[in-house]
Amino acid sequence: MSRIIYWSSLVFAFFFLVAPLLIVLPLAFNDSSFLTYPMDGFTFRWFEVFFTAPPWLASLMNSLKVALGTMIVALLVGGMAAMGTMLMGKWGQLVLSALFVSPIVIPSVVLGVAMAYAFGRMGVGGGYLSLVMAHTILAAPLVFLSVMTSLKGLDPELDRAAASMGASRWYRFQTVTLPLAMPGFATGALFAFITSFDEVVVALFLASPQSQTLPITLFSSLRDRLEPTIVVVALLLSIVSCLFIIALNRLQKRGETRN
Amino acid sequence: MASLEISHINKFYGATQALFDVSLSIGKGEFVTLLGPSGSGKTTLLKILAGFESVSDGAITLGGRNITELKPEVRNFGLVFQGYALFPHMTVRDNIAYPLKVRRLPRDQIETRVREMLDLVQLTRFIDRRPSELSGGQQQRVALARALVFKPDVLLLDEPMSALDKKLRVDLQEELRQIHQTLGTTFINVTHDQEEAMHMSDRIAVMNHGRIEQFDTAFNLYRNPASRFTADFIGKSNIFAGEMVRGASGLDFRGDALEVQLGLTDRPQGRVDLMVRPEDITILTEAPDAGRVALAAEVLHSTYSGDRALYALRLGSGKEISAYGAARSGIHAAGAKVFASFAPGDVTLIG
Repeated sequence: MSRIIYWSSLVFAFFFLVAPLLIVLPLAFNDSSFLTYPMDGFTFRWFEVFFTAPPWLASLMNSLKVALGTMIVALLVGGMAAMGTMLMGKWGQLVLSALFVSPIVIPSVVLGVAMAYAFGRMGVGGGYLSLVMAHTILAAPLVFLSVMTSLKGLDPELDRAAASMGASRWYRFQTVTLPLAMPGFATGALFAFITSFDEVVVALFLASPQSQTLPITLFSSLRDRLEPTIVVVALLLSIVSCLFIIALNRLQKRGETRN
Repeated sequence: MASLEISHINKFYGATQALFDVSLSIGKGEFVTLLGPSGSGKTTLLKILAGFESVSDGAITLGGRNITELKPEVRNFGLVFQGYALFPHMTVRDNIAYPLKVRRLPRDQIETRVREMLDLVQLTRFIDRRPSELSGGQQQRVALARALVFKPDVLLLDEPMSALDKKLRVDLQEELRQIHQTLGTTFINVTHDQEEAMHMSDRIAVMNHGRIEQFDTAFNLYRNPASRFTADFIGKSNIFAGEMVRGASGLDFRGDALEVQLGLTDRPQGRVDLMVRPEDITILTEAPDAGRVALAAEVLHSTYSGDRALYALRLGSGKEISAYGAARSGIHAAGAKVFASFAPGDVTLIG
């Protein structure tokens, strides 16, 4: 019985989640400007378009810049918030956690409008800075959560042991807490990067033509001209996501063998 | 003498009191064990000594210096944890070097000291291993080396053997005693295992419900327990309630089930408990001569362990006692009528 459920869920999940991707992705190599089957022939033409035609590569670079910036700032903000929260009592932790996680539940449209308005008033709209700041608000809670999880998993006796050997709070943090919570920081960093890298709603409100990110270019080219290049982008993004998932898996495994 | 003086410590958690007026005077280089059942306050006292818990009242001095309020980091006390608390991301070498790096010793000195300690705990060949690659006993020895490498004034051990199997425990007890003799550091060990306490310690503080019941050598605790709790907790004992009454040549003991002519002159009349250890009782098939106490009893059951047998006996009064009997020439069967006999000189009065 359980085997039947297992196999039927597997088949269902495959058709629901994976099959559409497998149907669409070959079109990246289709020698026709229309997204239709049957395929006309095999070509790398659309990859060439992606790496040479104006908006694509520039917006990929923009996305990378914003995602890296977001990753760094979110690590600092979310990581410090998590470490500070760990020092609080039980109720303090509950309240602070709720506060730090709250940006996740705000609809990104609301956040986008609010940000565009606020940055416009301050005169910093349109640039990388505003994008990084806005994406950090979305990404920092994820860093916060993953760092919290790994800090909570640490044996409190390790810190006590280090204290009994004369190590100051700061030295203990550097030599014991931080290295052992590293998988949490790394996981949080990956999440932050991905969050920013494929965020479209807030970016639509904030980006100027010069700072246009890859998801925005995708979005507008979907509306304007439906070319196989977008399938190329989808393929490349899928590969990047797969790499990230593998990296996450590795991190988790490393965390487990250590504890 | 840099002795450790614990004076009149009280500890409250909210409204509940965990320690009641605890005082101990521990000499330099002594091996002391805090022994008690769970909830006796022994771990609380250890945490206070380590600096992880504050006292509500009272003081701790080391060599005359008040250290009651000192943070753990500046106490210079070594600490061995029940769960070892080795740093999983460091090798054995880096674990042991940690307290020396904190103290900013030169690199070559650190290496020498680490190797000295590994030599002492016989783990030199594991120097580059991670803790996860070591067995429980090896991990505990690394923890010990790490807690001793910085020459602490006092070494605190929090139930260090509780996670190890019995054979390993006995080996480590022996090793710990030798290390203690080699280094001469003051050791304070916490355990609920009375055998471990008796094997290793110079003196044992028996704790119960947040109080020190008795602080003495293993011999005195066993032969002259100061309280009924100690008598019960350390080893097996048979306790008879009764009172001291005037007899022919002084005070004698009279209880429900027996009378013992003691002829004491150095203690008051009144209520008292009388304790006889099971090994002081001889099991006889005929009533002994006068001068020995003899109680008619029936054998309930026996546990044979080769060198001797432990009997459960029921006295005429219905009270059950335990007694060891030689088992060389057979064992008394259940239901056998015997006499439980002991000399008046082998009893201990409590209270």
